[in-house]
Amino acid sequence: MTAPTTLTSRVLLLLLKLRAVLMLVILLALFSALSPTFFTANNLSILAKHVSISALLATGMTLVVLTGGIDLSVGSIAGLCGIVAGLLINGLTIGGSTHYIPIPLVILVALLVGALAGACNGLLVARFSVAPFIATLGMLYIARGTALLLSNGHTFPNLAGSPAHHNTGFPALGQSFLLGIPAPVWIALCIAALAALLAARTPFGRHVYAVGGNERAARLAGIRTSRVKLITYILSGLCAALVGLIIAAQLESAHPATGESFELNAIAAVVLGGTSLMGGRGSIGGSLIGALVIGILADGLVMLGVSEFWQIVIKGIVIVLAVAVDQLQSRVQFRFLSNLFRPKQEANQ
Amino acid sequence: MNPFSRSGAPSLDFETWAHKMLITLTSALLFNLTACHRAPQSSLIAIIVPSQDNPYFKVEAEAAAARALQFGYRVRIDAHNDDAYRQDNLIDAAIASNAAALILDNAGTDASISTIRRATQAGIAVFLIDREISVRGIAKAQIISDNDQGARLAAIAFAKALNNHGDYAELIGRESDANAQIRTQGFHAVLDASPALKLVSAQSANWSQSEAFQKTETMLQAHPSITGIIAGNDTMALGAAAAVKGANRPDIRITGFDGSNDAIDAINANELTATVLQPAAYISQMAVDQADLFIRTRSTGKPELQIIPCDLVDKSNAAHYKDFAKLP
Repeated sequence: MTAPTTLTSRVLLLLLKLRAVLMLVILLALFSALSPTFFTANNLSILAKHVSISALLATGMTLVVLTGGIDLSVGSIAGLCGIVAGLLINGLTIGGSTHYIPIPLVILVALLVGALAGACNGLLVARFSVAPFIATLGMLYIARGTALLLSNGHTFPNLAGSPAHHNTGFPALGQSFLLGIPAPVWIALCIAALAALLAARTPFGRHVYAVGGNERAARLAGIRTSRVKLITYILSGLCAALVGLIIAAQLESAHPATGESFELNAIAAVVLGGTSLMGGRGSIGGSLIGALVIGILADGLVMLGVSEFWQIVIKGIVIVLAVAVDQLQSRVQFRFLSNLFRPKQEANQ
Repeated sequence: MNPFSRSGAPSLDFETWAHKMLITLTSALLFNLTACHRAPQSSLIAIIVPSQDNPYFKVEAEAAAARALQFGYRVRIDAHNDDAYRQDNLIDAAIASNAAALILDNAGTDASISTIRRATQAGIAVFLIDREISVRGIAKAQIISDNDQGARLAAIAFAKALNNHGDYAELIGRESDANAQIRTQGFHAVLDASPALKLVSAQSANWSQSEAFQKTETMLQAHPSITGIIAGNDTMALGAAAAVKGANRPDIRITGFDGSNDAIDAINANELTATVLQPAAYISQMAVDQADLFIRTRSTGKPELQIIPCDLVDKSNAAHYKDFAKLP
């Protein structure tokens, strides 16, 4: 009697685990059937490029959410870092003379700005016990305001640089290809792989889960919870900075309003990927799949010519449904697990 | 997302308030003593525009501010970010600061009427620029660029660039914005008359460059036959141009709307075919001129609704336009 139950429950459990992937496959199949050009190498490459933006943000966001926090400032930080790059490429005027900085240094400075903004978030949350929602909401405004101040509301054009100033090559960050795959996709894949490794295979990763699972227990177990949180916010800031740089490179211009509401897409991707907003449960891989679902939905609906209003409604429905199903399935999963354990206990007795 | 204006700090407001109290007290005294013939007049002109990170609205605000300062007024610039509630708060602040006139690019016709009426009742002369409201008699003047005529100009240039045939796509502005609707209607009034021009995809990109970039990339995948993209404003047109460049499709013709410097540069670089220039600076200056006249004489001497035609900017005349104005 017990053997078949175990088998079916194992198959069901496998299906449950693959549920996000199944959803992805269904969406891919649906759009491929409805639009003849959807499942082509060219379009998938562009799709991947679009997804890489929210995937990068979702990667940093996942680490923060795993500690039980949230980072609302990622969109604004992306906008700020794009503006910093735009400012530097267009030349810094100090004391009457204009200075041009080589591109690697420009990228480094922009990343540092992102890390610094993340560190501010982290310090506020970890050292001053400001609720993550509030601390990062503050940073959302501060970073956006700073971007507007730095640019005076203008767009920085011509980020292609000029040979005379030895600062060409920035657009490659968003526009170049390696082995036929766009650079932003490589960047997102590398960062996500590193983050997944960090989360799953290092002591730091275990500390992240521990802090999110039970912060008090983690602290009593000797984990420096403040430092763990600080680092996750810095990493999230860095991911946001990368996004800002990629978008600026793609458009060859930097606009201070770039990244508005990106944080919501990132949070949606994280939640779709099965990471709990309470912290302690979830994975980078799940968030990547979440980002793919959102990206495919957005692009697929555009290809089908669905109106903007419906796109927004459908996105909302998918997010809410996915989380509802997640809750339902974890309950089912729990019941199956209980059933699995009961016969074993009897056998032992 | 930028509820920050560069002026209007709280300390300033307090100073203004203290100053005003002083004037009120002194003038009350003077009135009692000499029965003076003229009420004390605030010399603040409040300027409220949708945002300060869009070149069009920025020029609009700055041109108005420059003119008002030139006339000796104090000036305050704020942005409502297309949020009618925030606009309401900003207008309350203008009433509280006893502004003499309000130059307003409003946050949507229906949502703005009651707020504008309140400002008028509080004694502020309201001058609307860029966007019209449907009710007459509340604002002292409504000076708007002719979006319909402009859209038709853009569409005629677009159709000509496409030799009146082929598949095209449209990027629409924020769909809740009346100007987005007027422009798309204007485009289609012209384009739908050519049966060989076929609209294969129409998407809203919410006036945004990065959104237009992504949506254009996707639309080009769904419809490689596209040979033209008509955009409801310049930022979306520039986003489309970046996508077209990335897809290596220099054959695709793109037109914008607004006449920003970035778009004019792109026309010179052959990335855009044409744009339509709304004379933002001119409209703002007209509004301030009439506000000044009204403050001094209680009349503008002009009809309330004043519609200013737009200019088509293409490669042939791009050198004559800058900062949303025709060069002298």
